[in-house]
Amino acid sequence: MKPVAGALGIVWALVNLILAYYFLADAFIAKTAAREGILAQASLLLGGLLMGLFALLVARVGVRLIRAGNAT
Amino acid sequence: MGAALRWVVVIAAVAAGAFGAAQIVQQASSGQQPWDPELTDNFIFIKSIPFVLAVGVAVGLLRGRAGSEERRGELVRRFRPGTVIGHWIATIGFVLAMPTGMWQYLGGVLSQDAPAPGGQILLDLFRPIPLYWIYRLHYIGGAIILFSVASFAAYWWTSGDRALIPPRGQWRAHLSVFARGLPRRLGARIAGPLRLDLRRAMPAAKRFTYYETAFSFPSWTIVIALITITGLVKAMRYVYPIPPFLLYWSSTLHVAAMVLIFIKVLDHLRYTLARWPMMVAMAKGWVPESAIRRVLEDDVQRESAPAEPVPAREPAGAMTGSER
Repeated sequence: MKPVAGALGIVWALVNLILAYYFLADAFIAKTAAREGILAQASLLLGGLLMGLFALLVARVGVRLIRAGNAT
Repeated sequence: MGAALRWVVVIAAVAAGAFGAAQIVQQASSGQQPWDPELTDNFIFIKSIPFVLAVGVAVGLLRGRAGSEERRGELVRRFRPGTVIGHWIATIGFVLAMPTGMWQYLGGVLSQDAPAPGGQILLDLFRPIPLYWIYRLHYIGGAIILFSVASFAAYWWTSGDRALIPPRGQWRAHLSVFARGLPRRLGARIAGPLRLDLRRAMPAAKRFTYYETAFSFPSWTIVIALITITGLVKAMRYVYPIPPFLLYWSSTLHVAAMVLIFIKVLDHLRYTLARWPMMVAMAKGWVPESAIRRVLEDDVQRESAPAEPVPAREPAGAMTGSER
């Protein structure tokens, strides 16, 4: 079960990394965020950074679970 | 509240829910409503909310008060079936509501502007799915979360169970152990303003780790309350005149809460996947006592602070006094 949970964790982390990328890119590119001001852009930037960071941490745990196999 | 009375409340809530659902479906399918599928779904959602909350409260009341500690040899019961099922029901709600909510936000941002590099790929990926289906799934997920919130709130209120938050007067102690587990520089930065003692010795927790009581559960409560309240305001906007100022802030905070929930889910997965006995406990309710004891002891022993061992007679991680 551990490898399955680890693999699912990695998939979820990858999806979140993609979302984090769009958040980060849109912090600089999206005109809607630019119109709403620096707070909206900063929120996208911070949200994207945090999502990316935590997604990497989940991916790391997922890899460890896969490597551990079903050992207790 | 007696068991018989609780059942009466549940049967009344379910009967009212079934009657309400029949009326809502009858109205929606009458052919008399002039709205498009998206708005029709919104009306179905907003009309069903009182019934969803009522059934949730009734189910929470049905669970009643806690039982005593349960053991099966080396195994201790960490969660009752109601908690395990409730957790997974909430998970299904989030799995439906989160991606659909994210698409409503991100798709909107990408569509209005020149998309970020690669954004067109995402837009093309979702183009075949009618927008009202995205909203429909979001409303279904939202209704499941509302049921879950009502159920857990009613249960915690009536059971008197407060194990998931620090006892009165213990917040600083719990926060101290939590801050000690953070990366050193971050922990020190938090400790200063909150006047936390990072060297404070604490015994291993008996049920939930200090991370869970000081940070995880309180922050879950805040973000779920925020997304629930703002979501209700947003959902009400077609049936009740919401002041534009309130609607603007509800929309903004709803998105902020959504992003926080994405981060919270990642943090939850990071924490529990790395502590496998917690995953086992939330899947089966039961967990080997030695395994969960290790998790609870590791929580206080990451630094050099001395920790009092858990007395051998008290099963670590088992339900005691009240059911969680």
